Amino acid sequence: MTDELAWIVQAQHGNSEAFTQLVEAYQTPVYNLCYRMLGEAELAEDAAQETFLKAYQNLTRYDRERSFATWLLSIAAHHCIDKLRRRRFISVSIDEDEEGQTDLPDRSAPDPELETQRKQERDRLQTLLQSLDPLDRAAVVMRYWQDCSEAEIARSLKLTIPAVKSRLHRARKALAELWKDEPARIRTQRRPYESPAF
Amino acid sequence: MNHRPFEDWLLADEPLNAQQTHELQAHLQACRDCAALAEVNLALKSVRAASPADGFSARFQVRLEAQKKVLRLRNVTGFSLLALSAVSTLVWLSWPLLTAAFESPVSLLASWLSALVAFWASLQAMGQVSTLLLRVFPDLIPAYVWLAILLAGGGWSVVWVFSLIKITKKQQGV
Repeated sequence: MTDELAWIVQAQHGNSEAFTQLVEAYQTPVYNLCYRMLGEAELAEDAAQETFLKAYQNLTRYDRERSFATWLLSIAAHHCIDKLRRRRFISVSIDEDEEGQTDLPDRSAPDPELETQRKQERDRLQTLLQSLDPLDRAAVVMRYWQDCSEAEIARSLKLTIPAVKSRLHRARKALAELWKDEPARIRTQRRPYESPAF
Repeated sequence: MNHRPFEDWLLADEPLNAQQTHELQAHLQACRDCAALAEVNLALKSVRAASPADGFSARFQVRLEAQKKVLRLRNVTGFSLLALSAVSTLVWLSWPLLTAAFESPVSLLASWLSALVAFWASLQAMGQVSTLLLRVFPDLIPAYVWLAILLAGGGWSVVWVFSLIKITKKQQGV
């Protein structure tokens, strides 16, 4: 039995210490999903805490055949989608993002200038993400931040695999449209085909 | 140059061979739409996970304890209200009886005794009738009907027990 499974079994028997181990293990992916979905550190913290509370309350219903991470992310995604549908609109401030987040340029990177450019692009992407439909946003975050497969995303968001593919395509095209139309204030000189990562 | 295959390559986001990469690079210099899509792909691949502030699990424990407390309080309040309303209803329903008992306890006792005797007599009569029916019915109803009745009863009980287990499954922290 793996550590994770042991913690799950103990937590299912009411051991809150074991559940805390699970919280420690999954706090970053859950918080990241909430942050990318909601766009604000404070809201993300609250949503991530709520996600773990919901998971704790419904732990007896968790099917051990499923991936625990996918199950948790599914709860987080649905919680955030509900919040977004209730609020309809979220305004995101880049200043707030820079103050509240740990997503800062890595000064120790071999090319600090490139790292700063990437950081600007990440900020820009985070801003553009907020314009997507909540379900599309959840699919993009799970695919690119959490590295989930299309099948896992489909199971988590209660969609079919073709629907996930279609949503990912649509979302990236929408992001590209916005990316293109965005004022050139953050746009860098570098073209994507000049990047070593391309 | 045809735009379609390049957009499909970018959306599929799969590795390209040298020839395809060369063709795509040439296309990207001329096509703003595809260049934007390529930039978005690149930005999505260079993303980093945001981490919560330190002490997340400690804050979770505090929140969990607070929620447990609220749920316990809600349960106690709910149970107390239920008990109070049950006692109030009982008193309200038995109020005429209580008044009669205080006014003339002997006549009330006599009426209770006569009701008890009548109930006992009807029980005895029902017993006699059921014994008679049990003697007559098994011969009238075929065996397969009895089997069907037993099976239906068994199935119904299983469904009932299963539903009860499902309904009464307790959530944690409650």
